[in-house]
Amino acid sequence: MVTDIHTRLLGRPVAFPVAESRLAYWLVVLRLVVGWWFLHAGLDKFLAWPFDASWFVGGAAAQTSLGPVVTLFSDGALLAFTNVMVPVGQVLIGLGLLLGALTKLAAFFGAFLMVFFYFINGETGGWAHGVITGDLLGLLIFAMIATLGAGRVLGVDAYLAQTSIVDDHPRLRYLIG
Amino acid sequence: MTQLTTLERIALYGGGGLLLMGTVGIGLLEIVAGAPHPVTGEGQIVHEALVPLQARSYVILLGLLLWGAYAVVSVATQAPATDTSV
Repeated sequence: MVTDIHTRLLGRPVAFPVAESRLAYWLVVLRLVVGWWFLHAGLDKFLAWPFDASWFVGGAAAQTSLGPVVTLFSDGALLAFTNVMVPVGQVLIGLGLLLGALTKLAAFFGAFLMVFFYFINGETGGWAHGVITGDLLGLLIFAMIATLGAGRVLGVDAYLAQTSIVDDHPRLRYLIG
Repeated sequence: MTQLTTLERIALYGGGGLLLMGTVGIGLLEIVAGAPHPVTGEGQIVHEALVPLQARSYVILLGLLLWGAYAVVSVATQAPATDTSV
């Protein structure tokens, strides 16, 4: 089946057809691949515990655009917080996407993490072939997953969307797919 | 059909515009008249770049921040669009 999208963009009417089955298929594939990307990144850090982010938030970030903010997290309690929250966050983001549970929330924080990876990796050598890197594309895929609500397709969010809690608190729909 | 409000237009067009300016726009300028590779593989900034790398970073970052702010403000202030799937 094909759905016609009708909206306005840049002041002009926009209409285009979307093949529903292909969109649904593509959302699941993207969600699972990106979910495993982050779940693996998080589990990898736990398997090699302890994880020490100081080389990244202290060393690598120091000379970059994000340095003034990120280096605040390079020692003491804030570093300890970072060392735990990065792998925990990656595991939760990965699980959220793999299961399609709280997909928009997971994708938002995935994009949030990618901002740091994009600029710090980029300015320390990752932009040697231009500023469009895998980190930026990952960030954009997270934004797309959040925009399209990918968790509703074969995900837990399809169930969550029908619960009475979400009915009573419609704003929760911002967090689910 | 959903319509963008003025604030949404600022966040989405502004954010997307800045992201495109920082990547495509400045990228084209650098190809034509500057340094196509803004940093080396060792992370050294190429000083022949037409637009300082940090300025380019901040243009892109501002675009991403506008998107992020749009997401946060939307959750905080607006009721989500009517869900017709349930």
